[in-house]
Amino acid sequence: MRTPIANSTNGRSPALACRQILPAVLTACLLWSAGSAAAQTVAPQPRPMPTSGWQFGAVIDTAYMGKGVPLGLRDEGLGLGHSDLLARGTLGRHLAGEAILVGATHEGKLERQVEKFLVETRTLPAGLQARAGRFASQVGYLNEQHPHADDFVERPAMYRAFLGHHYFDDGVRLNWTAPTPFYLQLGIEAFSGRKLSPDGMRRSRNGVTTFTSKFGSDLGANQAWQAGAALLINRRASAAEHDDHDEEHGHGDDHEGHGHGAAFAGRRLAMLDLAWKWAPNGNPRQQQVRVVLEHARLSGLPDAALMGRRHEGSSLSVVWRFRPDFEAGVRADRLRAGFAHDDDVDPARLNEQAMMLVYKPSHRQSLRLQWTTNRDAQGFKYAARRLVSLQYVVAFGAHGAHNF
Amino acid sequence: MRGVLHIAAVGLCSLVLWPAVAAAQTATPVRVFACEPEWAALAHELLPDAQVFSATTVLQDPHHIEARPALIAQLRQADLAVCTGGGLEAGWLPALQQRAGNARVQDGAKGMFYAASHVSLINPQAATLNPFAGDVHPDGNPHLHADPERLAMVARALSAHVQRHWPASAAAVSARQAAFEVRWSSHIAQLRQRAHGLKGQAVAAQHSSFAYLWDWLGMQQVMDLEPRPGLPPTPSHLNGLLQRWPASPPLAVVVASHQDPRSGRWLTDRAQPARPLVVLPATVTQPSAPRALEQWFDHLVDNLIRQLPRPTP
Repeated sequence: MRTPIANSTNGRSPALACRQILPAVLTACLLWSAGSAAAQTVAPQPRPMPTSGWQFGAVIDTAYMGKGVPLGLRDEGLGLGHSDLLARGTLGRHLAGEAILVGATHEGKLERQVEKFLVETRTLPAGLQARAGRFASQVGYLNEQHPHADDFVERPAMYRAFLGHHYFDDGVRLNWTAPTPFYLQLGIEAFSGRKLSPDGMRRSRNGVTTFTSKFGSDLGANQAWQAGAALLINRRASAAEHDDHDEEHGHGDDHEGHGHGAAFAGRRLAMLDLAWKWAPNGNPRQQQVRVVLEHARLSGLPDAALMGRRHEGSSLSVVWRFRPDFEAGVRADRLRAGFAHDDDVDPARLNEQAMMLVYKPSHRQSLRLQWTTNRDAQGFKYAARRLVSLQYVVAFGAHGAHNF
Repeated sequence: MRGVLHIAAVGLCSLVLWPAVAAAQTATPVRVFACEPEWAALAHELLPDAQVFSATTVLQDPHHIEARPALIAQLRQADLAVCTGGGLEAGWLPALQQRAGNARVQDGAKGMFYAASHVSLINPQAATLNPFAGDVHPDGNPHLHADPERLAMVARALSAHVQRHWPASAAAVSARQAAFEVRWSSHIAQLRQRAHGLKGQAVAAQHSSFAYLWDWLGMQQVMDLEPRPGLPPTPSHLNGLLQRWPASPPLAVVVASHQDPRSGRWLTDRAQPARPLVVLPATVTQPSAPRALEQWFDHLVDNLIRQLPRPTP
């Protein structure tokens, strides 16, 4: 049962456009950076820039999970979470590049994957910035952040359900930062969509497009905030999804390995996020409170049986750094969705609460103890009512700057 | 939707090929983004007509700043960014540069000035992969502004940088720099004279924030409240310092005003013979105030002199 939008295969689709334009962009970029290397020698620097050059680093993220979390990426027991090898640096004056190779254990096997491989412009005029390659989408507050820097062991339920934990894919991005006294950034991304709906319409030329906006500023000396709104349009979400949600349902908390892929897919995913941070005198070193509220709503569901059933999730987290090396936090997650069964619908719901305490002797290490409870979960066979997890993250070498 | 995408894709290609010179040129840097207040004060000295924004304050630890939206918005509009470099801002400046999308202040562009590229740094360390080593700065200690001589060298380099890249403002900047240098050298000569009693004195401090000042004054930092560079003081480390507290103790225990004074207070409350806790600003308090840099050094030196035993008449 194909929906009308999926039928329009005539004309070039965004994914096809991506595939055709990507090599051209990359070639142009390389030519440009080669040209600029010559130009760079004209203005000699007194000494090499201390912050330039390539940086390399590694992060190891291990966790012991008392049980798996519904739709989570981590196995029960001891496992390697989102661990990575990173390289980033500049390619001439005009470009920067970054590559991240991720490894994680899944069902006892080590799975490896290139999660980031991109070139990005540094010198476009008028606050514009373009990138091409494989990278995480900038929808939502958390999606683009490195998972090893997360405040909780697993991503919020809405990310696990609608974005396959965190959504990265092959594509292009164009951002514009406005010359305003407050922060305003508008962005558009076009992705192949294969990482979000891997099974849906394998031969499809349709992809994923996102539109994002971020605003933010300070409130006096102690507070800072950022708000974001995003719309993700997934043309691969179609009736083909029908084939695999049964499997999803059958396994309950199982998932497609590291292929990510969203457990629930629809034509449109609308997201709103608000982050607010407080630190005395704006000095987060000693003390800080971080509050993040996110909401996502999926619509344009491919299955007729799901029409009219709300698919939405929200997440609220509050983390308090009460000493330079200790943080405590709570998170409440809510998810409402449904699995279609022929003409019937089984509701899927999660009400998840998490509490955590983390010891960070330096910014390179963290040891986190988390207690997660799941009351009245529905539709997920193995949703543990209570689980304890212990996570240790350690970073070697270059660590990189984190976003707000 | 598809049309929008095509426009975006075609636009992307043409923008990538856009010559970099399209960045707006101004005769003089109009908006200056200073990563730390000392460079904001210096920018006020050399470019009095510029709008100078300081990304951090004296109450903030410059190693641990977040890439806040307000800072991105400021860097987006900057013509010139003046930062320390040497890895001091490694945790936040690259994120600001990336999000601001401002070609003028990318590394290597004429609008990005790093002070650490123009002076030698003390205590360079071998880069390490060891995650337990603390915050190691392979280039050396980046808190170079606490040395008045190096500060003068940075002023000279910044002036030369602006003159080279904004030739229209060269005469004015050169004159401002010359006036500053005359004023500054007479001021530090006077300071040095006033501070001669501090020479050879030992001091305990938290972090290496004032290492350049100790060098310049001829003082020695004999204790660090941090167990490893950049790591917060731990009870066991403080206890160790207390056990090893010498019979002829350091002049004072110095903490910076952006640091939590509790560790220092814990030590000075218990140590015998007793020594005072002195809280000093690690940079200028009000970058836009006239002679902010002189006032800051006066404040540092006067507070240290006050700890010296009074000469018996």
